[in-house]
Amino acid sequence: MVRDITFGQYYPGSSAVHKMDARMKFVLTFGMIVCIFVCRNFFSLGLMVLFTSAAVAVSRIPLKMILKSIKPVAVILIFTGILNIFYTKGGETWFSFWKISVTEKGVYTAVFTMIRIIVLVIISSLLTYTTTPTMLTDALERLLSPLKVFHIKVHTLAMMMTLALRFIPTLIEEIERIMNAQKARGADLESGGLIRRAKALIPVFVPLMVSSFRRAYELAFAMTCRCYTGGDGRTRMKQMKLGLRDFIALTVCLAVLAGIITLNHFFPKVI
Amino acid sequence: MTDPIKLINVSHYYSQGLPVQVAAVKNINLTIKAGEAVGIIGHTGSGKSTLISHFNGLLKPSEGTVLVDGEDIHKDKETLRRSRFKIGLCFQYPESQLFEETVAKDIAFGPGNMGLSDSEIALRVERAAEFVGLKRELLSKSPFDLSGGEKRRAAIAGVMAMEPEVLVLDEPAAGLDPRGKNEILRMIMNYREQTGSTIVFVSHSMEDIAATAERIIVMNHGEIALEGTVDEVFSHGESLRTMGLNVPEITRIFMMLRQRGIDVPSNIYSVEEGARILRGLAEGRRG
Ligand SMILES: Nc1ncnc2c1ncn2[C@@H]1O[C@H](COP(=O)(O)OP(=O)(O)OP(=O)(O)O)[C@@H](O)[C@H]1O
Ligand SMILES: [Mg+2]
Repeated sequence: MVRDITFGQYYPGSSAVHKMDARMKFVLTFGMIVCIFVCRNFFSLGLMVLFTSAAVAVSRIPLKMILKSIKPVAVILIFTGILNIFYTKGGETWFSFWKISVTEKGVYTAVFTMIRIIVLVIISSLLTYTTTPTMLTDALERLLSPLKVFHIKVHTLAMMMTLALRFIPTLIEEIERIMNAQKARGADLESGGLIRRAKALIPVFVPLMVSSFRRAYELAFAMTCRCYTGGDGRTRMKQMKLGLRDFIALTVCLAVLAGIITLNHFFPKVI
Repeated sequence: MTDPIKLINVSHYYSQGLPVQVAAVKNINLTIKAGEAVGIIGHTGSGKSTLISHFNGLLKPSEGTVLVDGEDIHKDKETLRRSRFKIGLCFQYPESQLFEETVAKDIAFGPGNMGLSDSEIALRVERAAEFVGLKRELLSKSPFDLSGGEKRRAAIAGVMAMEPEVLVLDEPAAGLDPRGKNEILRMIMNYREQTGSTIVFVSHSMEDIAATAERIIVMNHGEIALEGTVDEVFSHGESLRTMGLNVPEITRIFMMLRQRGIDVPSNIYSVEEGARILRGLAEGRRG
């Protein structure tokens, strides 16, 4: 069912960004986040903003969804802004009142940091919007597979993560179902003090535990029946292949990095 | 007298605003009258569960109004809470709601939430257990030690014990063997006879619906496709088939017999009844 795969962040679509190899997306996202911190002045940061806007446009994720991803960090954003404006001193004083003064450098730093955070959030949510959680863990497993040399059980860890992710929507559905059943019997889950509320959760929590354990046993049983013995010798149904669009993306990102370094070099640094 | 449940132009969308938005029910106008036995039938995913979740306000309609005893159910918290006790809703696979240490305590959960006295609760638990045919010695057991069929009964008893005006059951017999299924259906009919309460129940099975309901509502793609008495609905055999439903086997046989010019009634819904008619026919021919 659709709602089994589309939970939390993933926003279904068929854009070039959606179709990119998850490994490449992972690496590039990481790389571009580093790039944000390489930026030293408004020109290089501007290039980063330009790149991010282009990436969002190509992914065809609606602006509404992008704004939604910024909402949770709004408080941090405002907080950083205020802190920087009042506590970073330097350059011309633009405004002064009693003990508070706002300087040129303070404003620049505040704006710069805020843009950085916004770009950071947008780039990372672009990854989760365009990649299903299963693809993400799959990509992670492959990227980390060299660690096998150090006897780290990459496959097991990735399988655990995949299963956990796979069961989040199932659990949410189950919780909803049980809550509804208890509400239909007049359970009041929303009012009262902390202790009363915690107590009111027992009728939800107990059946949830019971069904989760049952589900875990059933899953383990089903996996054993299908001869699952861990990662060794396992082949894959979905092969990941790097395609032309992945290399184009890589080239674009490298070009942006080169641009940032050049701009950093030619213009005075702000931060 | 006001109707216990009335839905006016109710629509419900899941995941509203996302590209995966689903209109689970669309433009439903529906009245449940006091004392009726209503059967709701429809293909998987036709919106039956979504529809009945509006009856006691678990879901809020995206559009439209739900009236319980003539009052808008979402008017305020108090009305909503009262409606939860007036309309007893028992979900698909209700055994997943069991949580208490003993069966008796679990059945008492609903009445306890109503704020009834201990003696009244004990009385209701006993009565509900009797309705569903749970033996006394089971009441002190842990609900997790019961068999599947017994768990189902305990869960239904938990809703019955609130003695709601309208008892709404979502596929009460799903996943049970034929005998367990018949027992559950008989028990519900018995409950209705003794308490005179209104019953709404959802089922996939035409046979079950025909045996128990006076009025049938057929859901298709979130809309009410057909509505009427058992005879009226089953006379639309063709359109039922296009909705992925079917009239009971025995009814189909009798319809075919009629097509071949044999004079038998077309409103036969149970094998027993059909057998009686056929026997009579055979004797008539011989005699
Ligand atoms: N929580 C939900 N989120 C999103 N979509 C849902 C949700 N619950 C149901 N749906 C969708 O709404 C539609 C109607 O579902 P509903 O559960 O009401 O069907 P039903 O008639 O009860 O089916 P069944 O006979 O299988 O129980 C389906 O297409 C289903 O996928
Ligand atoms: Mg259902």
